[in-house]
Amino acid sequence: MKIIIDRFDGKKKYESTYELTSAEIESKTLLGVLLLIKQTKDVSLNFTASCRSAICGACAVRVNGHSYLACDTKMEELLEEYENPESMRISPLNNFRVITDLVVDWEPSIENLRKVKPTITPKSEFSEKTGCVQTQADVDAIKKQWDCILCGCCASECNKLEADASDYMQPFVFTHAYRAADDSRSKDPMIHLKPAIANGLWNCVHCQECVDRCPKGISSFGDIESLRVMAMKKGLNEGMGPAHAEAFLLDMVEGDGRLNEIKLALRSEGVLANTTKLDIAYNLMKAGKMNPLHIFGGEKIEGHAELVKMVEAARKAEKEGTIK
Amino acid sequence: MSEQKFTRRDFLQSACISVSALAVSGSGVSAFGAEDTKKSGNSKGLPSCDILIIGSGGAGLRAAVAARKNNPNLTVVVATKMMPSRNATCMAEGGINGVTDFSNGDSYKLHAYDTVKGGAYLVDQDAAIKFCELAGKAIAEMDFAGTLFSRTEKGGVAQRMMGGASKRRCNFSADKTGHILMHSCLDDAISHGVKFLMDHELLEIGVDGGKCEGAVLRDIQTGEIYPILCKSLVVATGGYTRIFYNRTSTPYIATGDGVAAALRAGLGFEDPEMIQFHPTGVQNGGTLITEAARGEGGYLINNKGERFMKNYHEKMELAPRDVVARAIEMEIREGRGYGEGLSSYVLCDVRHLGKETIMKKLPKIRHTAFLFQDIDLVEQPVPIRPTAHYSMGGIEVVSIDDMSTKIPGIYVGGEASCISIHGANRLGGNSLTDAVVTGKLAGEGATKYATNATFGEGAKTVELAKAWQAKFKEVANGQGGMSDIYTLREELGKQNWDNMGIFRTQDKLDALSSALEDIQARYEKIRVADSNAVMNTAFTDYVELGNLILLSRCACLAAQKRLESRGAHTREDFPKRDDANFLKHSIVSMKDNKLELSYKNVVVTEFSLDGRKPQ
Repeated sequence: MKIIIDRFDGKKKYESTYELTSAEIESKTLLGVLLLIKQTKDVSLNFTASCRSAICGACAVRVNGHSYLACDTKMEELLEEYENPESMRISPLNNFRVITDLVVDWEPSIENLRKVKPTITPKSEFSEKTGCVQTQADVDAIKKQWDCILCGCCASECNKLEADASDYMQPFVFTHAYRAADDSRSKDPMIHLKPAIANGLWNCVHCQECVDRCPKGISSFGDIESLRVMAMKKGLNEGMGPAHAEAFLLDMVEGDGRLNEIKLALRSEGVLANTTKLDIAYNLMKAGKMNPLHIFGGEKIEGHAELVKMVEAARKAEKEGTIK
Repeated sequence: MSEQKFTRRDFLQSACISVSALAVSGSGVSAFGAEDTKKSGNSKGLPSCDILIIGSGGAGLRAAVAARKNNPNLTVVVATKMMPSRNATCMAEGGINGVTDFSNGDSYKLHAYDTVKGGAYLVDQDAAIKFCELAGKAIAEMDFAGTLFSRTEKGGVAQRMMGGASKRRCNFSADKTGHILMHSCLDDAISHGVKFLMDHELLEIGVDGGKCEGAVLRDIQTGEIYPILCKSLVVATGGYTRIFYNRTSTPYIATGDGVAAALRAGLGFEDPEMIQFHPTGVQNGGTLITEAARGEGGYLINNKGERFMKNYHEKMELAPRDVVARAIEMEIREGRGYGEGLSSYVLCDVRHLGKETIMKKLPKIRHTAFLFQDIDLVEQPVPIRPTAHYSMGGIEVVSIDDMSTKIPGIYVGGEASCISIHGANRLGGNSLTDAVVTGKLAGEGATKYATNATFGEGAKTVELAKAWQAKFKEVANGQGGMSDIYTLREELGKQNWDNMGIFRTQDKLDALSSALEDIQARYEKIRVADSNAVMNTAFTDYVELGNLILLSRCACLAAQKRLESRGAHTREDFPKRDDANFLKHSIVSMKDNKLELSYKNVVVTEFSLDGRKPQ
């Protein structure tokens, strides 16, 4: 079969095609194939790899547009997934600056981690001499987030980063912020929460691609949601993001259960801000995505009464303190 | 500029590193875009920082944090070959030793005793005692720094038993202690404002007038090779078991670059022959099948279908690591294994445990077997063979108090160092402790030194950098064969494995010695088939291979002359431990490009050499 690799030599982009026999692919991982190409066919091919056992995170690449940890992916699984294709395209992770070939720049990611202050500031009853006290339940609450190996698969798939990275950090950065903020040893979640909000917490577009592609099964999307809940509870509910969330709930409970696009925009950003977006609204209406008559309300969705009941039960439980 | 917004690029442009590197590199392409040379801390205007740390595993990161804490006014930079977190520390699973619970009669001294005994008495006992005292304290410190340990019912850090320990003192975080520990080290370093030079490779250490002056780094991203001055240097580049390239459990990048550079800079390489073998690596490459496979009741089977461990030890598969490793090699050598040459193996069978147990208790091992051997443990046994695992030897250290070396200004930590805590054989759970304890000590030592030191002139380091720039031009000229480096690397691994593996003899080691000469000669002729300076990883592989050959030669030399069996060093022609002649450390050093072997006495203080427990 053909392995096509997207190349970049620091100046120009091109692609290289390598013909591999089935014997060369058999029983190998994707990393095994990359190593074979570098060591026998083309030493100028650059990629990074270190532990080869799915714990260091160095070898993430894209195959046919989707991110994989190369050492943790068998070729036969890939072939099955893509229904025995004649060729596969291997590219560097998306949403990172490419240094060369399959190698990307991690420096901005480390700086993003720096922003959310990834380590805990322990409560004052703990000390460096005696350590901390923590229950296993509190450990279990955040242990999944600690599985993050900084491979970048989530960031590569992130639609928000693809659309506009200027006001948003990689999904794994929020996971790191959450695991520090939710650590029971931590003095104050605000230390991590505030920079998360300042760096795009409310800008996640809920596509959940990060969850889908994480080789460790971590949900950065879930961690972003949890941070948002934390923010609302802490009274950090100013701004468009929280207003947007509030509008969703209003539509669900007091409205007809259908998301009211017009009201949503008005409630989230206000009337004034929306007058500048009339062209978008017009396009949406033209495409049949928004019904202008909905401003007066629409038909209730099926099962709306049950939905309202559920929301109210949740609110009651929260008041009584039976759920966090 | 606030600390949080300080990027590497900013850092390069700021006071620490300035423009004059251009004058040296002559490449016209520069990462140092700054105009202002006056701000730089040294008279020549060369790139500089107060403390330069090479390596970003547990030891390097703890050194960096220690430096930031002890003197926040100093600039601390960690140079690392990829990005921090792609290292051996994150691969550790079992746990980190350190006495935190004294209620069961455990003590620092008992930990030290176990360590000394486990190390076959090649351990410096004063160092071991200090190390074990600090080990207990390090656990609380790491907990405070954010490591997410598994917990006891009272909320303390949980402990488990490990091989060779007389009490339960291995603190753990599920079965990924190394990963969790390393990431908390990284988080802590980030939060303390440590700066990183990623994709930077150490080529040489500059020593002038007997003092550390700086280092030569290669920015792999741009290809730029430049000198950087520092007041003190911490080498924390990890071990060198990659000399067995095709049979080791360590990551690809752990190639002993720091040990090799230190050797060339004039430091001693202590106990290079002491390399630990783990009994069960997958046949295909040597990645670990953890001890749990045997712990849960797995069998080791030879080609006759026998559980051969019954012929070697009463505890069968649960015998100590070195016994199991030797037994497997013996089976293979006597024709009771499968396969040929370096691909030989025996089988590890867990099928009798049943699908449910395998799925529940050994999911990781099942995954490893699937990835590397393409088999399902539920249906098939996995081919395994011992694999090189840990280097007890390393750069000679003068004092464990600050992990200083004979060259003022150079400090070492972690697996790259040898203050001889592990002697001839490291105990399970002591490696992570080594990383965090000696890393921190080295960081503190380097800080104290840098606080009172001034920058060197840099002439020697500039000269070394120029030599490497010339070497890049000469070697990476695009004219070489495609697989020259990799064929030679495999050959090196095979020669080392066959002749300096688990069973050693004079004949084999002598044969290896001449084979290594031949390999060195072939290495000199290698030309890299890629001349692009940008991220030329083939040249990185080339440099690493050179280091591995050098370190192999040191290990071979020391192994040839150690006429006894001790710990990991098994000489079939000298099967007994010989305290009368060899209760001493081998020190290999380099003079005029030649290797020399000398010895240093083992420090014996508290513990007798007959295995008696201390009173």
